[in-house]
Amino acid sequence: MKRNSLRTRVTTFYVGMLAVALLVFSVAVYFGIRAFLNRSLERTLSNSAQTIVSDYLVPLGQKGEPWLVAEMTESYPPGYSDPFVRVSQGSRILYQSGDMRDPFVSMSKVPLPSNPKWFNTFHRETVSSGQRVVIYTLTYRTPTGSLVFVETAATIESTRHVLQSLLLVLLLTTPTILVVAAVGGYLLMSRPLRPVVVLTEQAERVGRKEMGERLPVIRTGDELERLSLALNRMIERLEAALAHNHRFSADASHELRTPLTIIRGELEALIQMPTLPPHVIEGIGSALEESARMAKIVHSLMTISRLDGGDEQLELVPVDLVDIVRVTLDHMGLLAEEKHISVRTVYRPPVYVTGDPMRLKQVVVNLVDNAIKYTPNGGEIRVLVAVEKKAACIEISDTGIGIPADSLKLVFDRFYRTDQARSRESGGTGLGLSIVKAICDVHSGVASVESIEGNGTTVRIEFPLLALTLAQADQIQTAAQLGVPPSDEVRFSDGANEVSTRY
Amino acid sequence: MKCFSSKLQLHFMGQAINGHGGAMRILVIEDEQKVSALIKRGLTSERYAVDVAADGIEGWELAEAYPYDLMILDLMIPRLTGAELLQRVRRKNTFLPVLVLTARDSIDDKVKLFEVGADDYLTKPFAFAELLMRVKALLRRGPVNRSSTLRVGELELDRLTQQVRRAGKRIELTAKEYALLEYFMQNEERVLSRNMIIEHVWDQSFDGITNIVDVYVRHLRSKVDDGNLFKMIRTIRGTGYTIRSGNET
Repeated sequence: MKRNSLRTRVTTFYVGMLAVALLVFSVAVYFGIRAFLNRSLERTLSNSAQTIVSDYLVPLGQKGEPWLVAEMTESYPPGYSDPFVRVSQGSRILYQSGDMRDPFVSMSKVPLPSNPKWFNTFHRETVSSGQRVVIYTLTYRTPTGSLVFVETAATIESTRHVLQSLLLVLLLTTPTILVVAAVGGYLLMSRPLRPVVVLTEQAERVGRKEMGERLPVIRTGDELERLSLALNRMIERLEAALAHNHRFSADASHELRTPLTIIRGELEALIQMPTLPPHVIEGIGSALEESARMAKIVHSLMTISRLDGGDEQLELVPVDLVDIVRVTLDHMGLLAEEKHISVRTVYRPPVYVTGDPMRLKQVVVNLVDNAIKYTPNGGEIRVLVAVEKKAACIEISDTGIGIPADSLKLVFDRFYRTDQARSRESGGTGLGLSIVKAICDVHSGVASVESIEGNGTTVRIEFPLLALTLAQADQIQTAAQLGVPPSDEVRFSDGANEVSTRY
Repeated sequence: MKCFSSKLQLHFMGQAINGHGGAMRILVIEDEQKVSALIKRGLTSERYAVDVAADGIEGWELAEAYPYDLMILDLMIPRLTGAELLQRVRRKNTFLPVLVLTARDSIDDKVKLFEVGADDYLTKPFAFAELLMRVKALLRRGPVNRSSTLRVGELELDRLTQQVRRAGKRIELTAKEYALLEYFMQNEERVLSRNMIIEHVWDQSFDGITNIVDVYVRHLRSKVDDGNLFKMIRTIRGTGYTIRSGNET
């Protein structure tokens, strides 16, 4: 049970409400019944007392005390009487029905009525055995003027028994009802909430790859239907905003191309003029280089916005990542050699993925170029291509300058530079890793980076692995898909080996 | 020499000559006046006759009126899109080479271009050297120099044995250096931009790398030119590289 699920909260809430209601009900029932039992006990006591007065005390003057005792012994036999009765005059007891049995209550110890507060009303008394009794004291004034007390008493033991049983019933049934209600309610809630679960799962999927998907509209006519419709409208607005964003970057880079063409053309024409002083050639040359860099940025931005916007038509075929990495490294060997950087490769082939060979190659090119760029002379670069944890994995580690920990999250952001001066000096666009990430995204891959500043950086790319049978694998000619003309491939095969042995 | 139009003022000696005995005549359809001016200026100095149209209709009318040897067509032009114009032109004249200028560089756009009949395309911004090279390739319409031996000055490259000699002395090259030198020698005296070199010797996926061409050319140059008085491989600042025979000096 998730602690924060709506289902739990709703169930908890109404079980809480039910608990309060049951509590109020139980208290009311308990005290109501207690009051009722007390009242009926008191009525019995007072009725008995009245009867004794009318039946035995009124005729007492004519019939005499022995008659009273005889009559009362018959009606209220000692030891068996319930209620217990006692008739007394002053401190003299005329009749008393003796101790109660079952439960035994020693009534003889109950003091005679002395307190006028007790007269014609009820009072409670704890007798020696610890039992509590209710005593009603009725006063009767004889025609001779003497005061006679008629006491009727009963233990409240039976009332207490009833109340205890009631309490037990209430204490047992209330939690049972609550548990049943909670379980039932929790199960019941799953039905109306199931569309919400579906909605959530779908919403999670939206935007992960493409916006195109819509949520299923729940046709219940209630809040849930409105929620699903509202969510769909929100996705539409998001999609429009994103499309607008993509279109803007595509349009912007597109619009920049014509002015760039003109700048470049004019400068090229200028620099070819004869007899230019050297500083003018220097200036125009520098401007040309920068316009080339700008063109590169525009091109990269366009690539990213096309990849992000899903406009890029990828040529998705099964490829062996080892082939891609090997060919790419062959083509870049001299860059590492120039800086006396040794390149160690670990290939655990074959590592098949479904992807666009040119784009995958671009990933490797960018990562290796970065590794070389940020590794000082004499350093080392390690390239691993292997299947790890059921993913196709390329890992490129260097012994370079590293990336500060607080920048690690940002390195895949557009135009983010870890060391402003440094990378500008080397003429980058600040978009290399963004392109890597965009390509990874369209291949359902994940790019991650680890680094220790001053020690080195490891970039790791994982793609979903393509499981192939041997026969299928044999048919894959990754090298042929890399845009290298087959004839060249054959012609340079010796040379290529020569290059690769230098690593 | 037959003159096609009073508009054309290009009749000096050594002019590019077409099959009709006149100057090679190129139609540039481009609405950005500065871009068309640049192309016209550059091509004119290469001794081509150039007409410029600023929109699709004007371009169509010119293409109808004169037998051009080549058309350079921007896709984003007013009144008639480049693609529409291209389709019209193709209905009448299947042989006119058309070089398309585009500001997009997606593969599917390119495929569409070839479907409607473009012969080649160039993505903006481009180096003029690149435009010129493609223009020349389209006008040549013949097989590229595929002879087994390439010669530039005292430098000799044998495609069969993959041996390179300068003044008879053998030069050992790696595969990439060989491909690079072959590309230079096929385009003697022409300026090759870094982009052109990358696309020819590597491929587009390498164009993000800042200095790959420079590093490889530097190595190639040290092997070719070190110890020689005349330096054949030249840097053209801001543009690219070229190979020179040194025969003229």
